[in-house]
Amino acid sequence: MHTQKRITPFLFLAPAVIVLAVVGIYPLLFAAWVSLHTYLLAQPNIPHDFIWFSNYLTVIQDGAFWGSIGRTLFYLAVALPVQIVLGLGIALMLRRGRWAALRGFARVALVIPLAMTPVVTGLIGRLMFNQEFGIANYIQTTITGNKVGIEWLGNPTMAFAAILLLEIWQWTPFAALIFLSGLTAVPVEVEEAATLETRSFWVMLRQIQMPFLMPALTAILILRTADILKQFDMVYTLTGGGPGSSTELINLYITRIGLRGAFDQGVASAQAILMLVLTIMLSRLYIKYLYKGDDA
Amino acid sequence: MKRITALSAALLAVTLGAQAHAQSWSLATAAAPYKGTTIKAIFLDRPGYKAAAQLIPQFEKETGIKVSYETVPYESTNQRYVLDFTSGGGADLVLNDVVWIGQFVDAGWMVPLEKFYNDPKLADPALNVKGFFPVLLDSFGTWNKKIYSYPFDNYSGLMYYNKCTLKAAGFAGPPKTWTELLTKYGPKLTGNGKYAFALQSRRGETQSADSFMRTLWLSGGGLIDPKTFEPTLTSAASQKGLKFRQDLMKFMPPGVVDMDHAEAVAAFNNGTVPLLTEWSSFYTTIADPKQSKVPANCLGVTTEPLGADGLKPALGGFGLGVNSNSDAKHQAAAYLFAQWITSEKMAKPYVQAGGVSGRQAVYKDPAIRAKYIFVEPMVKSWSAGTAVPNFRPRFAEWPQISQIVAENGTKIMLGQLTPQAGAKVIDGRVKEILTRAGYYSGKKAKLQ
Repeated sequence: MHTQKRITPFLFLAPAVIVLAVVGIYPLLFAAWVSLHTYLLAQPNIPHDFIWFSNYLTVIQDGAFWGSIGRTLFYLAVALPVQIVLGLGIALMLRRGRWAALRGFARVALVIPLAMTPVVTGLIGRLMFNQEFGIANYIQTTITGNKVGIEWLGNPTMAFAAILLLEIWQWTPFAALIFLSGLTAVPVEVEEAATLETRSFWVMLRQIQMPFLMPALTAILILRTADILKQFDMVYTLTGGGPGSSTELINLYITRIGLRGAFDQGVASAQAILMLVLTIMLSRLYIKYLYKGDDA
Repeated sequence: MKRITALSAALLAVTLGAQAHAQSWSLATAAAPYKGTTIKAIFLDRPGYKAAAQLIPQFEKETGIKVSYETVPYESTNQRYVLDFTSGGGADLVLNDVVWIGQFVDAGWMVPLEKFYNDPKLADPALNVKGFFPVLLDSFGTWNKKIYSYPFDNYSGLMYYNKCTLKAAGFAGPPKTWTELLTKYGPKLTGNGKYAFALQSRRGETQSADSFMRTLWLSGGGLIDPKTFEPTLTSAASQKGLKFRQDLMKFMPPGVVDMDHAEAVAAFNNGTVPLLTEWSSFYTTIADPKQSKVPANCLGVTTEPLGADGLKPALGGFGLGVNSNSDAKHQAAAYLFAQWITSEKMAKPYVQAGGVSGRQAVYKDPAIRAKYIFVEPMVKSWSAGTAVPNFRPRFAEWPQISQIVAENGTKIMLGQLTPQAGAKVIDGRVKEILTRAGYYSGKKAKLQ
């Protein structure tokens, strides 16, 4: 009886642990194993020799790898704060007030960009940012009166701006919806009591609402950071990493090494493991400095 | 005397036997053992595949073999094949780009077709491999003197031009040389949001093949020395080509570095540029009044302009071969389809459906020559002495090199690297790759 009691929790946990092991832990361990071996998919005749940390050394010495890491961190540093600020603004506007029907419509509309697959977003972007007939240039030329449209996808700076714009457009609603749910945790009586003390919007936001929004903010930071570091589909379809390597984010670069050209899975796995370490470090930082767990 | 009689008798027997085989062979009989088999193929979203798709029901009806195809974007096709082949699977019909044959054969993923064309049960007596344009069979189909695929979707670089726009600017015809394009046509045709020319240059195989390699050939340069395999981008001729492309950019639309085939064709069709070098296979798109604003009487097609070594047109396209991972039944069925769709008999229906056949005979037909104005320049481009089978190196390392060329080629165009600095970067990486492959140590034969 006693043994059965001890086994039961394990049996309940077993399916989840097995699934996690198969879809999460095994691929991770396999990637770690591959990163220590010569593993060229397109050259099956070359044996998978154990080469210690040679692939990691290749990655560390590769300027293009660090270039794409820098580009990705810059992309993250611009996109994420903008998404948070705009998302918070939208959430505050949609929280309460007049025009209930319009707010209801806006909440539904927020889901539309999220429901769109990133590949489709990229393809639509190619049309929107087309220099000759894209809507982006139509708006720009109508407003400015310029005859010549902006060279969105053929210019390195503008191409980077284009991927940022699409990223912000697609994922700001996610931040808005998470903040909106976070705002429901703010007790109405606390807010009402606070309004007796101050009418300042900023004081209300900082002193009353933000403490309740910290878990939501941490969740957004962790989820969006992980997602942005993994960004691939939209950028691949919109710019393919070009022109030059101006929009080649780290995931596009890893894919290029591992699944194109040389199909060097060894080096690509080493890159992926290093990226995993970076993601975990960033997540730990967010949790340490922003999320105080139950203290919030 | 007795010997001569015996030899004559043997020859007669062989001839009669061959004639009897030719008379007795039929596709339906050859396919009978494979009736009900489904073969898989990967197609591209291009006119040649739409043409094949129209003809497939005829093959299925005649043979009872079903052809199931999946359309994949070109830039993902090599990746798809490598992953499928590595996992021991993949489509039974292998669609090999001219620059993938070395990679696929080196890895043992394609079956030499001699296995099938030497089998009297499968080989169509009317196969006539010599009926293909030699340059196409050599480049798409042959590796190390063995045939692995038959030319199926065939391209030559051509120059499309808008006669009416040229006439209005005072030109009697298109530029005869690249220099003329730069010095005479460029300045006169550029202005007021219009440009003289578009060279599709998007990062990817478009940049490596259509833009970068074309630029090298026109100046008499090259990526590597054909004998020693030493990189040659810093040579005077190659540098001249790369600088020429930079100069030409003044007369091309500003976003040309992000233009793929679709965008370049659209620029021509919309009237933004009156001159365009593009593959022969895009003729149907360019000549389609639903897709082009260029009136039929204004459309002209000719060979690419002459460069330092005369006419050196771009060469591209795909062969159809057989997957070595497939079982014997699927291999035989796939071979029958490849043989049938690329046959002389099917060449005319294929062309009429919008494809570009690799068979010489079909282009001798006056009706075909009259209807498709791209035929004459294309045939000229594929003729002996003009065509360049190794327009891009076909060895296994090309896909890897192509990535490097695409990245740095676009950087050169954008001015992020000078032609000299870009050439040094590419040369260094190419040397590294070819050294690792064993070309300089003699471990690997210098085939391209």
